[in-house]
Amino acid sequence: MRLFTKYNRINLIATIVIFLTASVSFYISIRYILIGQVDEDLKIEQREIQTYVKEHGILPEPITVKDQKISYAPATELAEKRKFKTSTVYDSTAKEQNPFRILQFGINAGGKLYDVDVEKSLEGTDDLINSILLITFITILLILVASLVINRVLLKRLWKPFYNTLKTVQNFKLDKKQSLHFPATKIDEFVFMNQILEKTTSQAQQDYLLLKEFTENASHEMQTPLAIIRSKLDLLIQDENLSENQSKTVQSSYQAIEKLSRLNQSLLLLTKIENNQYAETVLVNLKQKTEEKIFAFQELWQNQNISVSVSLEEVFINMNNELADILLNNLFSNATRHNFAQGFIRVELSGKQLNITNSSSQKKLDEHRLFTRFYKQAEGEGYNGLGLSIIKQICGVSGFTIRYSFTDQQHSFTVSWV
Amino acid sequence: MKVLVIEDEKELSDSICTYLANEQFVCERALDFHSAIEKISLYDYACIILDVNLPGGSGLDVLNELKSGNKMDGVLIISARNSLDDKVFALKAGADDYLTKPFYLPELSARVAAIIRRKSFEGKNQVSFNELNLDLTEKTVRINDKLVDLTRKEYELLIYFISNKNRVITKNAIAEHLWGDNMDLADNYDFIYTHIKNLRKKLIQAGCTDYIKSIYGMGYKFSV
Repeated sequence: MRLFTKYNRINLIATIVIFLTASVSFYISIRYILIGQVDEDLKIEQREIQTYVKEHGILPEPITVKDQKISYAPATELAEKRKFKTSTVYDSTAKEQNPFRILQFGINAGGKLYDVDVEKSLEGTDDLINSILLITFITILLILVASLVINRVLLKRLWKPFYNTLKTVQNFKLDKKQSLHFPATKIDEFVFMNQILEKTTSQAQQDYLLLKEFTENASHEMQTPLAIIRSKLDLLIQDENLSENQSKTVQSSYQAIEKLSRLNQSLLLLTKIENNQYAETVLVNLKQKTEEKIFAFQELWQNQNISVSVSLEEVFINMNNELADILLNNLFSNATRHNFAQGFIRVELSGKQLNITNSSSQKKLDEHRLFTRFYKQAEGEGYNGLGLSIIKQICGVSGFTIRYSFTDQQHSFTVSWV
Repeated sequence: MKVLVIEDEKELSDSICTYLANEQFVCERALDFHSAIEKISLYDYACIILDVNLPGGSGLDVLNELKSGNKMDGVLIISARNSLDDKVFALKAGADDYLTKPFYLPELSARVAAIIRRKSFEGKNQVSFNELNLDLTEKTVRINDKLVDLTRKEYELLIYFISNKNRVITKNAIAEHLWGDNMDLADNYDFIYTHIKNLRKKLIQAGCTDYIKSIYGMGYKFSV
């Protein structure tokens, strides 16, 4: 629910409740006052009748004037108290039921007991109340409409800087070297928010750059000693006077350095992907790229008599070009490494997904740990267990999903982008 | 032919010079930015091996200095940065090639040789070696003037060997040279054997001396 809607809803309900309560109490109090007025008039009439009876000893002739009637009825006993009541009485002149206020009291006129009814029409009073209520109601309606319109227009204008800021932040990318510029606003709260956002984002950007720098430095610092060791070993193996034992030692060191530098490269690659340093995307012709990779791997497969079946559809996807290369390399390397001689590899590229299936003598991989770093099915194998995490990571940043399935000694990985 | 190695890591610089010294290269060294600038302004080199991170300045500035001085020296950048952007940037700035650390010395040697060939042969781009004659433009090999039919990989392999005569080259180095470093196949280098075997067979059949020796467990050597 939008803030406006929520605000308007609460505002509307509150206003209506307040106005209704006010109208009801207004009605009750006006009615109370007006009826009090009528009662005063009736009391005056009572006093006049009592004064007349005291002076003359008889009841006055009942004169029916407009809106007022007096009637007498003989009574058996004298009513002690006077009584007020409201009721509808048939008005013969107007030929309709009309509300009347009636005062009843007892009187002793020349020894005879009477009940006196003085009736006064409330029609005028009701009219007054009605018109007052009508005016109140119209006023309420006008105020509601006005406040709705004002709120809508005013709030929209007031919140504009907020939406501008949102739009700016939405377009913000950490790895693009751009600082945020918000449109100027005079509202203190928004100025404050923009300041905080500017500060936070520039801080994040700075941290990101530092991290990136660290990655690059780490790469440099690690690669140089590795390069030295490898170059020394390259020189050492040239020595023709190496004994068989020494030669074996050098070989082992050489292989270990290979592993170490590969490991370092894989870890750096993972860090770089995590740091979003491969954010630049292009439209990649996946069919062409897959064909190129298949061509590159063909020799290896032929060498191991691995048969390959390929079915490719024309597909273009938006992703980083380097990552696309690495992804395919890793998928194909895996399918080759965990295969056996006379085995097979099946590559299927459709509009929605890329599926690579390979035969293998290895059992099903642990689905929960498969993509975690350094996951290896068997210890001491020649690979570092980072290949699948790199694949997973690349799929993550490219918005793809990766699925693993295992049937009939066939391992299958499916990358889908829809 | 003179080669200048601009690399602040003395040990690495030593290794490079030792390896290249046997290839009829005279190696000179610069360990920092300023001595590098001084050396390139005084002398001409057939090839300059240039590290990007140098004390006192960037290797790319050395490159700019070279290019603004209209020097014809070939430049091979060696750097720990392996992103495509860095490579493209260096090549656009005028470098002839880009090699990521850690590298194999035979690879470095082959690249230096290639740069020098490109710079100096000018048209008659040929490499001759005893009975072997390689045409680098047409990518053909002749033995005693007779054409030998080699696959692309076998041809590349032969040039690689010739650039590293009398050197033990490991299988790892050969694999990376032929397939690049993306193919993460760890210790499985059996497939190289097939290529070497075929190359040897074709050369011997064409009447060539069997130069390629297998060094047990290590790799191969093109011994003359």
